[in-house]
Amino acid sequence: MSTVWKHELRQLSLLLGFCFLLPCLTYGQAAVTPFEKLPDWSGLWSMMGGTVFDTATKTGQGGAIAPGVREHPPYTPTFEKIYEEHLALRDANRLPDVVTNCGVPVGYPRIMNLPDAYEFVVRPDIFYIVTENGPNTMRVYTDGRKLPAKEDTWGTYTGVSVGHWEGDTLVFQTAGLKGNRDNDSILDRTGLVLSDEVRITTRMRKINENTLEAKLLIEDPKALTKQWNVTKQFRKNSKPGLFMYDYGCAENNRNPADPTTGKTLTLGPDGKPLD
Amino acid sequence: MKSMNRVVLTALVGGVLLFMIRPILAHHSSAGFSQDIKEISGTVKEFQFRNPHSWIQVNVKDASGKITEWSVEWGSPNQLGRDGIRPATFSPGMNVTIKIRPMSNGSPVGGFVGAKMPDGKLLGKWDGGE
Repeated sequence: MSTVWKHELRQLSLLLGFCFLLPCLTYGQAAVTPFEKLPDWSGLWSMMGGTVFDTATKTGQGGAIAPGVREHPPYTPTFEKIYEEHLALRDANRLPDVVTNCGVPVGYPRIMNLPDAYEFVVRPDIFYIVTENGPNTMRVYTDGRKLPAKEDTWGTYTGVSVGHWEGDTLVFQTAGLKGNRDNDSILDRTGLVLSDEVRITTRMRKINENTLEAKLLIEDPKALTKQWNVTKQFRKNSKPGLFMYDYGCAENNRNPADPTTGKTLTLGPDGKPLD
Repeated sequence: MKSMNRVVLTALVGGVLLFMIRPILAHHSSAGFSQDIKEISGTVKEFQFRNPHSWIQVNVKDASGKITEWSVEWGSPNQLGRDGIRPATFSPGMNVTIKIRPMSNGSPVGGFVGAKMPDGKLLGKWDGGE
């Protein structure tokens, strides 16, 4: 082989190498986990337990709407005061759930705290949480990209999430959440809220064939004095061939929240309040 | 032995159904419902098998002959559908007895607990529906 050809070949190799390396440089991570190395999270899943967000710190008996039930996040005094105000409204049945009037997403992390069915869709480049209730969709990009800079986010219900696989464990970070900025995003019906400074690191894995676990590490310099760790679990529905369906919240919503009082109304079949 | 197996199987299936058919009101607070259980008997007017919650409209006649339309709220059709409930489960004209948690303020509204169907079949948490 002539010297010229050797030189051309070396140039071509360098060019090809750079082309293969370019996406990695852009996204800042070595490789996307190929499909055959990803775990099987197929099927329909249901959240285990009631919709109290953090049962580990719960005090009081009953569900999220039961008077006296509350959780104990490591709140700053400011956010503890907000929570206590919400609890008082809850006890008076005057804390409107923002989803009661249909239309806004529940956002993150509340999407981990819903009744009805879930699907967890695993692909090499992206991971989807699809909930029937709402409906709600969350996207976690696993193609190697990084979280956008703070100035490139503007606060949304579900924020932005990027992640990667550590064996069978999906690790993702979520930022760009609106928190309680517009008073329309809560974590459960006790009235838990976080701020627009919140960042959440989530680790998801199967702990046995029929149980998925999500461990959330919540950091929020405005709302929390230290990290808040919350664990949610999901059970796989063992019946084969089940379907997910529409959840058209506005289809026959006979329980809108009164915009003035915050009370959840009950409408009769004629659309007039019954209570 | 076969009848014993049948009893065990029936108990297991019943237990699973009791677990699965639960009155989850996912969309809104159920704070307005009392913890008491009330039984109403009447004629199904309509079964609204629609989201976010199902509603059974039942005409109930009192001792004086006066008819009151009750609204009984149940779970989302999605969840109920996966548990075997269908729009025809409560057909117009069907005579049923339904256990409910009535609205605390006395309105003719309640949260579904369980039902006894015309053929005697039980739905939901008819027994031990606490």
